[in-house]
Amino acid sequence: MTSPLDVHSLAGPYSLDALDDIERELFEDHIIACETCAVEVAELRETAAMLAEPTWAVPPPRLKTAVMAQISGTRQSLPSMRPPTRRTPALRWRHRSRSLVAAGVAAVVAAAGVYVVQELRLRDQRIVAQAETARIESVLTAPDAKLRAVNVDGGGRLTVVTSDNRDEAVVVLADATEPGPDKAYQLWLIQGSTPKSAGLLAPDQVSGMRLVSGVRGTNILAMTIEPAAGSLVPTTSVKAQVPLTG
Amino acid sequence: MRSEDRATRVPSPTADESAEALLRAVAAGDEQAFARFYDLVSARVYGLARRVLRDAAQAEEVAQEVMVEVWRTAGRFDQTRGSATSWVFTIAHRRAVDRVRSEQAGADRVRRLVPEAEQTPHDIVVEEAAAKMERESVRRCLKTLTVLQREAITLAYYSGYTYREVAQLLDTALPTVKTRMRDGLIRLRDCLGVEVAA
Repeated sequence: MTSPLDVHSLAGPYSLDALDDIERELFEDHIIACETCAVEVAELRETAAMLAEPTWAVPPPRLKTAVMAQISGTRQSLPSMRPPTRRTPALRWRHRSRSLVAAGVAAVVAAAGVYVVQELRLRDQRIVAQAETARIESVLTAPDAKLRAVNVDGGGRLTVVTSDNRDEAVVVLADATEPGPDKAYQLWLIQGSTPKSAGLLAPDQVSGMRLVSGVRGTNILAMTIEPAAGSLVPTTSVKAQVPLTG
Repeated sequence: MRSEDRATRVPSPTADESAEALLRAVAAGDEQAFARFYDLVSARVYGLARRVLRDAAQAEEVAQEVMVEVWRTAGRFDQTRGSATSWVFTIAHRRAVDRVRSEQAGADRVRRLVPEAEQTPHDIVVEEAAAKMERESVRRCLKTLTVLQREAITLAYYSGYTYREVAQLLDTALPTVKTRMRDGLIRLRDCLGVEVAA
């Protein structure tokens, strides 16, 4: 894994989709707070996308027929109220990654008008996030760490790194579809056939990383869509499930 | 952008409409605009998926998923962060890479290095002059990179390898690979004259 000062150097691999899910999440945390990085990444991604030009190959005509048929029955998502590369702090699980200090300073400079509020908020978060970051790193670097990933029904990916020794898991959700008005994604640990809540995302939240404790002896990590306040037991069908054994 | 061509009502990839304008219409639920947008980008979406996946049937599936996602999430496109076409190719690339990675266990992938010379067969297409010029300039600009920059970038982009895998394949230190990817992209950006008004 990378040290704090290293995060910025991931701009190249990030723009080429050459990071694994976890590093990608760390890097995205970084660019949220770093405006100069965001501009550079936008330009590098634009450049990388140009590499698609020479791959030109005409698809069979049936593809267009199939796509047109499928979209006419597909509901469109509401426009995002914010640029896609930036999520508001309230919508995020874990507020700062290991890039916290550098990124936090950049954010404070950028938001000079709200300097004091921002600084206080960041300082609180920094303490919580540093402790959590250390735990996340411990899971990711544990000798018994296992990485498993599945596609989420409807789009996106759910990646889980578990360490039985530490009895913890790091869960990364990437690019899921929006859960709908007043709904949110909820995680579950299932032991035998008994589900226990392992955390609720913010309403609208479709990407993020979270540390989950008490994974030892559980069989499955599952995700459902629930009312925004969360449920005691899953009330809808499972959108993604990752077996934790075997 | 001019729009006289629209009067003919013939969906055409050469219609003089900007991709951004089409995408805004798509976001508003305009299926005809979507059909024109499809004509504009589908050969590159499909071609890119085929290049990464090296399998026509899977490329078709991925291209379909991508185009449906474009329809669904067009409202989230943000012009200040880049062009409409790069937004679509970014979605397409990510999907293709996710699929190629989830299908092959990490250990096997690295051993299975395919000769880079392999190209998608050049289909007979009605080519837009501007698009053809862009393809040529990408090829020309790739040639201005150092060997290591070019290999690092093409292995990642066209074959879907992570930078760790690329480092292993090229037997080069991780920090070097990261740096070559970034400075290679910067050189490409300057050669292609890419700008994003952010």
